[in-house]
Amino acid sequence: MEEILDEPVSSDDLKKFEAKYYKELGNGLVSKESTFNYAWCLVRSKYASDIRKGILFLEDLFRDGNEKERRDYMYYLAIGHAKIREHPKALHYIRQFLTLEPGNQQVQNLEVIVKKRMERDGMKGMAIAGGLVVAVGSIVGLGLVALAKKK
Amino acid sequence: MSAGPYSYSYIFKYIIIGDMGVGKSCLLHQFTEKKFMADCPHTIGVEFGTRIIEVSGQKIKLQIWDTAGQERFRAVTRSYYRGAAGALMVYDITRRSTYNHLSSWLSDTRTLTNPSTVIFLIGNKSDLDGQRDVTYEEAKQFADENGLMFVEASAKTGEMVEEAFLETAKKIYQSIQDGRLDLNAAESGVQHKPSQTGRTTLTNDQPNKDSCSC
Repeated sequence: MEEILDEPVSSDDLKKFEAKYYKELGNGLVSKESTFNYAWCLVRSKYASDIRKGILFLEDLFRDGNEKERRDYMYYLAIGHAKIREHPKALHYIRQFLTLEPGNQQVQNLEVIVKKRMERDGMKGMAIAGGLVVAVGSIVGLGLVALAKKK
Repeated sequence: MSAGPYSYSYIFKYIIIGDMGVGKSCLLHQFTEKKFMADCPHTIGVEFGTRIIEVSGQKIKLQIWDTAGQERFRAVTRSYYRGAAGALMVYDITRRSTYNHLSSWLSDTRTLTNPSTVIFLIGNKSDLDGQRDVTYEEAKQFADENGLMFVEASAKTGEMVEEAFLETAKKIYQSIQDGRLDLNAAESGVQHKPSQTGRTTLTNDQPNKDSCSC
């Protein structure tokens, strides 16, 4: 199921929607649709800087959007944050969505994936912390041995 | 890693396309979960589903991209067509307009996929025969004229759902066997996983299963 977070946009597609957005920007009037399409492609990028840019666009759209549109923005804000491993923020949007539509399977699926990744990151964190404890422990141990030798 | 605890020798990419409300997500849900999703909200952008099936003794992982039918998503959902080995094109037998739009879905599919992509036409909601707005015969004729495979199915009862997904896979597998589908082509929509085939993987998996159950 995690493919939904791992599927990269092709650079051709990203360029296409980028060009459309900047063309409209040059003309002085950018449509919501072009902004959303560009943002959607950005959050599907392999690069964190693109994803962050996409999130900024989506945040703007969300601020000005109506209820129906906000559902799309919330979903892709969750995807974007999950992709750059900002899992609590992703869960924030997921929960906000689910208070409005508690039975939404698509968003429930995303919640499962994000929680799984959070757990995995947590375990990695614990492994690192565990490693530190062992390292500190052995330094202390060596110190004690040294002290004992001095005596 | 991506194989998880299951082994498979091929990955086939599918897309599901068609008008809003024809039941694309419900078909996917019925196929992956064997359940009917009664209250199915509009899909946002694309949804993803997966299931491992078996064709001619080969395990195949289907990676299924279920696209939103709403017009406002259409520009970007087109980017998911590329590299699809199978396309399930869905209409609703009780709503004629969804059938009338098939030529536009078909021309999109032909333009954005490759010639070996298997296109399967599904007339969904066959359980609502009393409200039928498109006859079986005319849809069958449309399918034949355009070289598509075709069934009427019901995501609600599950009738013919399994068949549609499996027949598509069989056809793709056949194309591989016949050499019509080039596995090395970047956009064939098929990935072969030779390292994971056969007994090696099975025996590798076995000890894990044993250790889990005790």
